[in-house]
Amino acid sequence: MDELNQGSQSFSGTLTPEGVRLKIIGVGGAGTNAVDRLQLDPNESVNLAAVNTDAQALEASPIGDKILIGRSVTRGMSTGGDVEIGEKAAEKDETTLRQMVDGQDLIFLIAGLGGGTGSGVAPVIARLAAEQGALVIAFVTLPFTLEGARRHEIAENTLAGLRTHCDAVIPLPNDLLLQQMDETATVLDAFAQADAWIGRGVHSICSMLTQTGMINVDFAMLRKVFSGADGKTLFGLGRGEGKNFLDEALNDLALCPLLHTPGFARRADSLLVNIIGGTDLGIAHVNQIMASIADKFGSKEQIVLGAVIDESCQSTVEICVLGATHTSGYRPERKARRTAPIEREPSHQPQKKKKRKRVPDDELFGEEGDLLKPQVHESKLGKKRQTAIDLDQEEFTFVAEDEQRGFFDNTDRNIIDGEDLDVPTYLRRGVRISL
Amino acid sequence: MSQSRIIGAVDIGASSVTVLVGDIVNGRSLNIIGKQDATSAGVKKGEIIDFKAVSNATHAAIMGAEKSAGTQVEGIFLSQTGNHLEGFFNSGAVNVTSSDNRVSQGDINRVTTEAKSKKLAADRLYIHHIRNHFMLDGRQVGDPLGMEGEKLDVGYWSVHGDERKVRDHIHVINGFGLNVEDIILSSIASGTVIANDEEKRAGVLVIDLGAGATDWAIYQNGVVRRTGVLPVGSDHITNDLALGLRVNRKYAEKLKMTFGKATLDSEDMQEKVWMVGDQMIGDRRIPKQALIQIIRERVEETFELVKKQVGEGCSPKELPAGVIITGGGARLENVDLAAEKVLGVPARHGELPEWVHPNLHQPEYVTALGLLHFALSGQSLDDNQTQRRERGLLRRVSHLFGV
Repeated sequence: MDELNQGSQSFSGTLTPEGVRLKIIGVGGAGTNAVDRLQLDPNESVNLAAVNTDAQALEASPIGDKILIGRSVTRGMSTGGDVEIGEKAAEKDETTLRQMVDGQDLIFLIAGLGGGTGSGVAPVIARLAAEQGALVIAFVTLPFTLEGARRHEIAENTLAGLRTHCDAVIPLPNDLLLQQMDETATVLDAFAQADAWIGRGVHSICSMLTQTGMINVDFAMLRKVFSGADGKTLFGLGRGEGKNFLDEALNDLALCPLLHTPGFARRADSLLVNIIGGTDLGIAHVNQIMASIADKFGSKEQIVLGAVIDESCQSTVEICVLGATHTSGYRPERKARRTAPIEREPSHQPQKKKKRKRVPDDELFGEEGDLLKPQVHESKLGKKRQTAIDLDQEEFTFVAEDEQRGFFDNTDRNIIDGEDLDVPTYLRRGVRISL
Repeated sequence: MSQSRIIGAVDIGASSVTVLVGDIVNGRSLNIIGKQDATSAGVKKGEIIDFKAVSNATHAAIMGAEKSAGTQVEGIFLSQTGNHLEGFFNSGAVNVTSSDNRVSQGDINRVTTEAKSKKLAADRLYIHHIRNHFMLDGRQVGDPLGMEGEKLDVGYWSVHGDERKVRDHIHVINGFGLNVEDIILSSIASGTVIANDEEKRAGVLVIDLGAGATDWAIYQNGVVRRTGVLPVGSDHITNDLALGLRVNRKYAEKLKMTFGKATLDSEDMQEKVWMVGDQMIGDRRIPKQALIQIIRERVEETFELVKKQVGEGCSPKELPAGVIITGGGARLENVDLAAEKVLGVPARHGELPEWVHPNLHQPEYVTALGLLHFALSGQSLDDNQTQRRERGLLRRVSHLFGV
């Protein structure tokens, strides 16, 4: 950590000492491992911390700021998968945890849900951090289906808890991440893959804050995107290299597995797009990206755009999309959203809904097609200025619920033997599908 | 003068609403005089989630069917599926009362009432009481009346459902100004036409792969022994494909129909297929292997779950006539092979009897045909059915199946 801090000081030419105070906190075994593996640019002024109930695991971690909690509850041993013990441990050491999050502007919370520490402690830290006024973004991995129904239940509950305290929660279902693996992959590879996703997300957000970009996004903007957003988070990454890096990146984004989980918000009320590219990234490219993204994810209120030039990234571009819905709650409350706009302008509603129905998926998947359509260029200026183009964006207000989430999402859950049968079988069984 | 009744068979499925109009002449013969399909909306997993959309689709289909028949429908037979349906086996036994040990009508009434007397929770209602054979001193008898014995047993497979969900279906039909004469389980409706008497006697498992749900029924000794519903259908395959291949539902459906298969063959491994097919911009090549793998996992899981529900009854010994696959999902290539592999019982596609017009020889029509079959047989059973159920709205729909 010291090295990282020193690195950041040498970089403080563009970053005032009062710059954004960032902290990445790994909670529990999985969270700590993920933080260990984060490969951050030393230029990024980031503090790392690890919180665990397991002294042994904590000892092995190279992170500087280690906090062992619940010594009085577990005597330095782990929670053994018991959430209640995790919660108790967090309560006992609330003061320590409060100190840890004190004075931070932005906190990344990284945890693996389904176990004792991650699930028990992460919501507590999220609450404390939120009370301190920090912006909290949580990256959490969800257990494999084969880990059993109980862990799933724990994870689901924790997720709901995190959503009430965090500004953004990005769930990464392990089942889905396994899809990205080769058949020969080991268990370690699978976890490394999950960590890599977290790393990319964290890195992308950090770099947009700490590096001055071609189009700069600062902390205030990030805050604005998530202010009052306690609904679902949209998160997607796309990366492209080589000659057609732009098309490739947009393709990659469209194929991003995280945008295809049932239950993942596919449309956002506010959207933050960050593009990291080399010096060969032109403003025309940026416009193209923006236009296609706005079409795909639709944001009625605002799109915040950031573009960072990294000289080491020639001929590559990485797009990170981070969005939030402003409706609160998980499943039940979402119903409210449907009725609200109808009350507001009942006469326009049916027409728009119809229009919407035709658009979303076709556009979401017809990526290359979009790019070549001329009308894309018509709308790009407006979007870049962050003002919602009323005509265009109003359309996104009335999205059929089932297009936002899986086809079966607004039906009763289909639980048999602890498995939700509406979730694709290949995902639950960990069968890898290579596209 | 011949007396004819015009009956509509309505099968509200997750992908389409099928209406067949039958003319029942003298309660003895059936002519199918009209048919209409409409794309269904508002039904998922066999249950109504959008009443208005379902009503519109159903009313359009009934109207179209009436038009094609050139006459008005007098009553509707309705199919029913959905996860809310449950069944149990209940039996009753009485001692024969008369001194000469001959079974009287009173004995039969007592034993059947006893076997059907199980009370349900407040929000449940019986849909079927399916009578199995009478047993007189352990002997299987068709009609025990007047036979000699001491102890009379009878068992019923009773199916009950969520009252509200059943009523929703009835309301859809009532909204068109028609009465529902009877509600029949989709699995039983399908089974009654797709399996012949010989198969039903020997023992057969009928699996109806619908869009929203999979219904199954086991016949043994000529009667329905057990039924079941699994709220997984071919809609799930489409959804899996949409998520797995990252295509939208429309293309997922198309890919399923064109290239879908339940088994992965070696020649499919390297092949790639076009998503849209026009090879224009926006089209994508999709590995057939991925497509089939996704389908195969879902189909195999569906059969595994059916096998689990059926339990011990799922063996070649219990089902000498094997497994019959029907419903829209039966169109999936090699689905019979997948069923055979998982269930361990020879499986085949269902064949409709010859009296069915070639136009209707499609697995999607099986349930509606079965409903008409019931309309016909229900009428011919009128004589020995002691009380004709009062017609009209919201009556308890319980129906006695004679053997």
